[in-house]
Amino acid sequence: MPPATSAPDAPVAEGDAEAPPVPTYRSLAAPVSNPVDKFALLPAFLKVRGLVKEHIDSFNYFITKGIKNIVRANNRIEARSDPGIYLEYKNIYIGEPSVQVDFRVETITPHFCRLTDRTYSAPVIVDVEYTVGKTHTQHRKPSFTIGYMPIMLRSYACVLNGKDEAELARYGECPLDPGGYFIVKGAEKVILIQEQLSKNRIIIDTDNKGRVIASVTSSTHEVKSKTVICMEKEKIYLQLNQFTKAIPIIVVMKAMGIETDQEVVQMVGRDPRYADLLYLSIQECATERIYTQQQALQYMDDKVTYAGAGNIKDGRSKLILRDVFIAHVPVNNGNFQPKCIYTAVMLRRMLDAILNSDTFDDKDYVGNKRLELSGQLVSLLFEDLFKTMNTYAVDRMNKNSDMARSSPLDFSQLIMQQDVITSGLERAISTGNWDIKRFKMHRKGVSQVLSRLSYMASLGYMTRITPQFEKTRKTSGPRALQPSQWGMLCPCDTPEGEACGLTKNLALMTHVTTDQEEGPLRNLCFSLGVEDLSLLSGEEIHAPGSFLVMFNGLILGKHRQPQKFANNMRTFRRSGKIGEFVSVFVNEKQHCIHIASDGGRVCRPLIIADKGRARVKEHHMKELRDGIRSFDDFLRDGLIEYLDVNEENNALIALYEHVDQDGVQRSSITHIEIEPMTLLGVVAGLIPYPHHNQSPRNTYQCAMGKQAMGNIAYNQLFRADSLLYLLVYAQRPLLTTKTIELVGYDKLGAGQNATVAVMSYSGYDIEDAIVMNKSSLDRGFGRCIAMKKYTVTSEKYGDGISDRIAKPQRNKDGVLIKQNMRV
Amino acid sequence: MERSAAGASYQRFPRVRIRELKDEYAKFELKDTDASMANALRRVMIAEVPTVAIDLVEIESNSSVLNDEFLAHRLGLIPLTSSGAMSMRFSRDCDACDGDGSCEHCSVEFHLAARATDSGQTLEVTSTKDLRSTDPKVCPVDQQREYQQALGNVDAYEPDAAGDHRGILIVKLRRGQELRLRAIARKGIGKDHAKWSPAATVTFMYEPDIRINQELMETLTLEEKQSWVESSPTKVFDIDPVTQQVTIVDAEAYTYDDEVIKKAEAMGKPGLVEINAKEDSFVFTVETTGAITAYELIMNAITVLRQKLDAVRLQDDDGDLLDLGAHLTGG
Ligand SMILES: [Zn+2]
Repeated sequence: MPPATSAPDAPVAEGDAEAPPVPTYRSLAAPVSNPVDKFALLPAFLKVRGLVKEHIDSFNYFITKGIKNIVRANNRIEARSDPGIYLEYKNIYIGEPSVQVDFRVETITPHFCRLTDRTYSAPVIVDVEYTVGKTHTQHRKPSFTIGYMPIMLRSYACVLNGKDEAELARYGECPLDPGGYFIVKGAEKVILIQEQLSKNRIIIDTDNKGRVIASVTSSTHEVKSKTVICMEKEKIYLQLNQFTKAIPIIVVMKAMGIETDQEVVQMVGRDPRYADLLYLSIQECATERIYTQQQALQYMDDKVTYAGAGNIKDGRSKLILRDVFIAHVPVNNGNFQPKCIYTAVMLRRMLDAILNSDTFDDKDYVGNKRLELSGQLVSLLFEDLFKTMNTYAVDRMNKNSDMARSSPLDFSQLIMQQDVITSGLERAISTGNWDIKRFKMHRKGVSQVLSRLSYMASLGYMTRITPQFEKTRKTSGPRALQPSQWGMLCPCDTPEGEACGLTKNLALMTHVTTDQEEGPLRNLCFSLGVEDLSLLSGEEIHAPGSFLVMFNGLILGKHRQPQKFANNMRTFRRSGKIGEFVSVFVNEKQHCIHIASDGGRVCRPLIIADKGRARVKEHHMKELRDGIRSFDDFLRDGLIEYLDVNEENNALIALYEHVDQDGVQRSSITHIEIEPMTLLGVVAGLIPYPHHNQSPRNTYQCAMGKQAMGNIAYNQLFRADSLLYLLVYAQRPLLTTKTIELVGYDKLGAGQNATVAVMSYSGYDIEDAIVMNKSSLDRGFGRCIAMKKYTVTSEKYGDGISDRIAKPQRNKDGVLIKQNMRV
Repeated sequence: MERSAAGASYQRFPRVRIRELKDEYAKFELKDTDASMANALRRVMIAEVPTVAIDLVEIESNSSVLNDEFLAHRLGLIPLTSSGAMSMRFSRDCDACDGDGSCEHCSVEFHLAARATDSGQTLEVTSTKDLRSTDPKVCPVDQQREYQQALGNVDAYEPDAAGDHRGILIVKLRRGQELRLRAIARKGIGKDHAKWSPAATVTFMYEPDIRINQELMETLTLEEKQSWVESSPTKVFDIDPVTQQVTIVDAEAYTYDDEVIKKAEAMGKPGLVEINAKEDSFVFTVETTGAITAYELIMNAITVLRQKLDAVRLQDDDGDLLDLGAHLTGG
């Protein structure tokens, strides 16, 4: 840790950490000495994280942790006839990018793959333990390759990781290229960021018939399901695909073991207004003469859609309730209580919304969104392929043992028999079709060819967010600019026309989280005074003054001092005891505290302020400039923290520290922006003085900036793009913005600085056109080079004869000597 | 010459006074003629005085970072000494080579061969060092200057005799890179491509006629005079330190910006100064690229202009202009 002594030259009043001086009129009115220039934090941030950090982080998470979790969950396969014949995966990891050529392994570089139409992929290596033959002799095989996986450029598995400029040049790579994409069969493919609604969260909304519904999309490693509770004719029903008809919710509660109506009402809450709204539902249940759990289950069994093998309906509904209904809430040892409480909370939220329409959830609110990145998408694909490969192996083993062949087979020979993983991953990334039957996933256009029209175009591609479903053209809601987008998604950069407002772009400092381990956090919550749900009665849960603690959408318990609990959690986060991306959000309206550590949340760094005074002081910035403090040190020392969209609701963020904000008490400010310009994205950052423009002009420029011709990369002449336009005399703009310097656009400029005379000519003016000076064109203004790729095969015949590529030969008159030559 | 049908003669007898004449720069006055004539002269100087420039490049080997077309364009823009261009033939109507554009009457061949050795230093390929001409009369202008300097024929008025004489950079070669090519320079005019234009800038202005109303001026205080004088963005007027009279120091520095007139009006003294453009008097400024001298440029421009007029007159014999003349006189 750098020395945090009070620097003698620090201009701002130090020592306010100990005893904040009592503000007097004089001290408040006194001019504040020069504000701390925090701009240097921005380049420091980008240096640590890079421009497309979210892609690379996500992929890194997958290859270091995610892939291991998948294999650990499916680590053993056995023969059906003899469980003694098995194979167990002990470890899995990704090797160095390489290809197999004639049983020899050769390491490859990204540029080599681009030029030779190869896939930049690395072996997926497992350590296995398996038994052979009837004697079940145990064997171990370390470093066994089960397939090849395309590797994201600049990820941990990539050869370019951590290389400096000179080394990158040696690999034929442009140092300004951000990475974050894949090379599949020579084509650069980006897996676009996918936007979707939060999983495992209760959303209160109205459906197209105007009914109030509470819905949860559950997603765990095993199952994905959608649970909808809706109110129809003032009665509440459960809708689930597995049932032919909507089931009255009270029946569901009874089926889960809450047999008395009193208990149900207690769980929902004792407010008589809730009881009034529940009255008709309870009555309906009574008229159906359902009083016991048994009767309830019987009733539900009759309405099961698919009866399962043997058409036995008995007991199906209990299984459905256990495995499908709000599937993310676990049922341990047949204990349905957590599910009951969760259902009750859903009901309560729903009834709240009926009583007070303010409490409806906004589907467009960014806090209710999750971004799915390449790591997660590849992870889904890999999980499916890995399981498929194992199923194949088991099938073969079974078939083999059925035939009772004498030669003993073992699993290690079977798992690699087909190229399941290699070809599956390659096909999905190169076509962009994510068809995963296991997860009912059929998506098209997930990956796209990285646009190399200009440097900006490729950068813009990497920050693009595409909407998951619903291209419902009419609705304006999802297209409108959301206030919660502030600082997270660029307000300017969106296409015109069809996808306007649906396709978005990340802002400059946005970070997208990856999953974090839940166990330790859960334990921490309990030790900070969260009362365990299983110890509470329905009555106690909603006791006034206490808040429910929700952890990644699950109800953990309740806490009597919510603010204190939240502060404690935040202190732990700021001191680095728990992950910096854990979010703590106190929802006063719902009497809830949401702790989130799941992946896909957007968040951004902010300077922490104590009573409106930034913790980042001049001496910190000096240390940063001197190179003895990095951005991560700022995080570790609790000067800066990441807030996600939900937690921002508990913060009051000032743009600048020393500027008086109208009508806001300075002491109530909790955070200060690092640099207000970061609310724009990379592409919008090119516009000089954007705040002086009419807003759609900025949006137009975001689309057009990518079309500017210029230089696309330092290695542009060594690339083999099918079509490449280069400007002969590209120039750096005379007026650069801070973003331009940060993203390196000043080094890979596009366009030329033209001298333009603007004048009215006789009143008959031309619009949107220029008259150009011919001599300037003659002298090279706007001169461009178009490069095209032609593919030929160069064959080698015997006797040392081979094809040769040469320039076309002409005779004296300039006529081609051989007419079949292509010029 | 006298043409009764055309009626009144518009013939005038322009006068030229040379103010300054250097190799690449000239300033002269053209009087007793019209703007049409002055502008015709200007445009001919820019676009129709022929020079020689590289027009065809055959690349034998190019392993530099710049591609062939890029280099060919850069070579074309190098100014070549073109004193003989007037007597050369346009390759399109050269009989000797049948329009092929490769005989000595219409073309000059150039060679360039450069290779960066393994010294590790970047080699700069320049117009002085590497571009070799087969005709000593036609060579890159900075080679010519070096030659003249070696002979001691340095223009005494040349202010930048000690300036940068590295020539024009064509391309930089890194270790192991090579450039070999053959280029053919041909005669052409700026109208076809700016590389054949011998003029860097040619401008003319109307000579201003400034008359100060000294009587009215004397009603001003010294401070007022000072502020009026300073209202001109260029230094046109000054105050005589002895007589404290406002004098004209440089009438031609006036840019027709009307600032002093507006200032006088703002001071409540309209008519303090009267400025008119003399519509038959022009001040020309000519700068050349070095391909030909400024003197040659002016003289050749007059020759070309005369040839063009001759062409009109020849057409006239066909009777076209007679009709036009008749039309003009209202016949
Ligand atoms: Zn000829």
